[in-house]
Amino acid sequence: MHLLAQDLVNGILAGGILAVVALGFSLVWGIMNIINLAHGAFIMLGAFITWQLFTSFHVDPFLSLPVSFVVLFVLGYLIQRYLINWVARAPVLTTFLLTFGLSLLIVNIALLIWTGDTRGVTTAYSGSNFTVAGITVPWAKVYTLAAALVITGVMYMWLHRSKTGRAIRATSMDIGAAQLAGVRVAQIFAIVYGLGAGLAGVAGTLISLSYSLNPAMGQPFLIKGFVVCVLGGLGSVEGALVGGLAYGIVEAFASQIDLTIGTQHISGTGLQDAVALVVLLIVLMVRPTGIMGRATA
Amino acid sequence: MSTALRKIGLGGITGNRTALFISLGLMVLLLLVPTVLPGYQTLFRTILCFVALAYGWNIIGGYTGYVSFGNMVFFGLGTYCAALLSARGIDNLFADVGLAVVVNAAFAAVVGFPVLRLKGHYFGIATLGTALAVTDIVGNLDIFGGTGGLKVTQVDEAHFAIYYYAAWLVAAGAIAVTFLVARSKLGYAFVAIRENEDAAAVLGISATKYKIIAWAISAAIAGAAGAVYARGNGFVDPSIAFAEDFNVYPIVMTILGGTGTVAGPFVGALILSGVNETLGHTFLKLHSLFFGAVIVLVVLLLPRGLVWLIGLRGGVRTWIKSLQAYKA
Amino acid sequence: MRISDIGMRFGGLWALSEVSFDVERGSVVGLIGPNGSGKTTLMNVISGVYKPTTGEVRYAGKRIADVPAYDVCHLGIARTFQIVKPFASLSTRENVAVGAMYGRNGAKRSTRASFERAQELLEIVGLARVADRPAAELTIPDRKRLEVAKALALDPDVLLLDEVMAGLNATEVEEALELLRDVNRRGVTLIVVEHLMKAIVSISTTIVVLAEGRKIAQGAPSEVLASPQVIEAYLGSRWVKRQEQLKEIEAQRAEAMRIQPPEATA
Repeated sequence: MHLLAQDLVNGILAGGILAVVALGFSLVWGIMNIINLAHGAFIMLGAFITWQLFTSFHVDPFLSLPVSFVVLFVLGYLIQRYLINWVARAPVLTTFLLTFGLSLLIVNIALLIWTGDTRGVTTAYSGSNFTVAGITVPWAKVYTLAAALVITGVMYMWLHRSKTGRAIRATSMDIGAAQLAGVRVAQIFAIVYGLGAGLAGVAGTLISLSYSLNPAMGQPFLIKGFVVCVLGGLGSVEGALVGGLAYGIVEAFASQIDLTIGTQHISGTGLQDAVALVVLLIVLMVRPTGIMGRATA
Repeated sequence: MSTALRKIGLGGITGNRTALFISLGLMVLLLLVPTVLPGYQTLFRTILCFVALAYGWNIIGGYTGYVSFGNMVFFGLGTYCAALLSARGIDNLFADVGLAVVVNAAFAAVVGFPVLRLKGHYFGIATLGTALAVTDIVGNLDIFGGTGGLKVTQVDEAHFAIYYYAAWLVAAGAIAVTFLVARSKLGYAFVAIRENEDAAAVLGISATKYKIIAWAISAAIAGAAGAVYARGNGFVDPSIAFAEDFNVYPIVMTILGGTGTVAGPFVGALILSGVNETLGHTFLKLHSLFFGAVIVLVVLLLPRGLVWLIGLRGGVRTWIKSLQAYKA
Repeated sequence: MRISDIGMRFGGLWALSEVSFDVERGSVVGLIGPNGSGKTTLMNVISGVYKPTTGEVRYAGKRIADVPAYDVCHLGIARTFQIVKPFASLSTRENVAVGAMYGRNGAKRSTRASFERAQELLEIVGLARVADRPAAELTIPDRKRLEVAKALALDPDVLLLDEVMAGLNATEVEEALELLRDVNRRGVTLIVVEHLMKAIVSISTTIVVLAEGRKIAQGAPSEVLASPQVIEAYLGSRWVKRQEQLKEIEAQRAEAMRIQPPEATA
């Protein structure tokens, strides 16, 4: 029982990050119908920017949040404006492959710059915990969750209150109507993609506190982000949040799996990707439109 | 001659005829490698495996339009089929390939059933997830030898060429299958699904059924390539069987050469292998970087692939015009 | 075909309610109604794209809703779409051939036979001259012809045509009508949704009128068009009232003129 509660807490803490990961991915997918395979690469870049700032200038990771957001936003904006836009009217396959190629490029450039060594960000508070009712809660993860919730909240407000935010939502509902209302759709697309990248960067920064870093780290998060979107539905902040937390909890429970079949030992922690896949398959078979709707074409 | 060819559908979804004949010619030349260039046997054997993989991917990704990032799973499973057979003392290439084909086609059909109901790129990410998941699982299970890997029995040095010819046969088989599919009703079903899945349904094509068929064929080819590769390599472990390269290269090769054509994967495979070899010795780390750049450039500038370019009339101007076609 | 008590609800809105009529073999049924009356929704229900919330469509003893989307054409029902979406990178002939390969009689046809059948159909619809061009290069009228050809490749008994004349000029409309008459003569029952009154009237044996999701009239063209309810549906009750008022005024004026001596009206 006590173990379950610990898992629950761990799950929620991890889920916050997943929500941010999924949010960026979901916006681009829901509004532009682009599955951005470079999302993982963007996450990785955000993490490494944080690491670099931390290692070279001793900047606290939380302070580098704005930096990773801005850098990735600009990168995303430029990529969309000058590369993806070039094949905007091509079949979806084309854009899909393009983001794949970009992902390869970015990851490998990162490999050149930072080499394949695994790194970490260890701050003064990295190791400290507090205990509540027998459950250990690391401070770093609490801060991360708080940051994630704040970011999610800010995004929600912005999308619903600001002029650009409303323009974005209008575009996602009906491009034609939005255009007639004076929205510059091309500009919106570039902003949305930039936003997706920026959010990925932010997620990367948050991830750097709890996970180890290497250029290939983005891939699993891409998959999880996808699964969370399927779980929580597209284009909605609430969906990403609910989906992310739900997934985090499932993953935490799954990591408890510690079976021995015959001489075969199976441990849940090594099988994280398999867990993601299984969850995905189950959800798709049971409810093809995702738990909160709108996941399939 | 050309009207006759046109009447049987050649030149339509089969792709450029010139490129096709050149490719076939080169394939025949490749038969000579063990005798003429024995030192390069291993290299060309690997290239032939890539050719087969590219053709496998072309069926599901090129013709049906469903990008799969999971085909390396089939390759990997194929290698393990050979390894497991070897562990049980069965050292027959036909058995290897046979088992690999059956296992992978079945696996594709089973996994494909829920996953292929998704459309387009949803499928793509699901395959990526499958790839990562299977890599995890295999790495963790002992019957697969865990991370230590398994040894695969081989024939003696003198008869090594047999593995080359086996690889050649698999590649040739892949080309033949693609050719037959492209000319048959099946090929048209695939293309119809790629062009407009809903319109295809209206015309009587059950998309899920044909997508599963396409993926099963694709899987069988990749599996066969894997089995042969395992025998030729003598050793199998998760890092080899599920190497990123086997996932990415075939895709890049097919895109470069031309998706949805019969000659495309071959052309792409040869060119990229050639470049890879030349670069590989001087710039070891730049493989994937290079391939990433190739993908981006090809997608932006040459989305229909090189084979299209070969058949193009009107030269540079038509090409430039085609670039404008997709702009927003 | 028997269409019984069809109701279709989207969210809180009933797009169709209690629509019933029979379609006789060999006839041409014109489906008309003001915008938003549910014509395309009804077409979608008949062709199996939507499953009706209530009611059923029966054809050849089967309920269409029970048949999966790709199997509908095997029953003998084919349709064209308002927004044409051909297989862009295939040639015109190949587009039609796909229908011949997988449609009703497709299983028995070889690839070659399918292409031959496609060629025949192209000649019937008048597309033989562009048979080898990629479908993406066709003009709008030609694309519409292609839609019809693809539908015919399915060897249908019933053909549903959704606004096939939209965007055509007068000559093209005439040609299209001639083509449809020809198709009907060959034994295909047609259900046509169209906005062009003249076109519908000249080709239909029966007309069904929908308004706000309900069937408000059914019958021979002349009766239906004269029916006051139909006129009211299209032109609105205020217009109808106004017409009546005008008639009243006219009648009164005529009365007044009769009473007055002729000289006073000079």
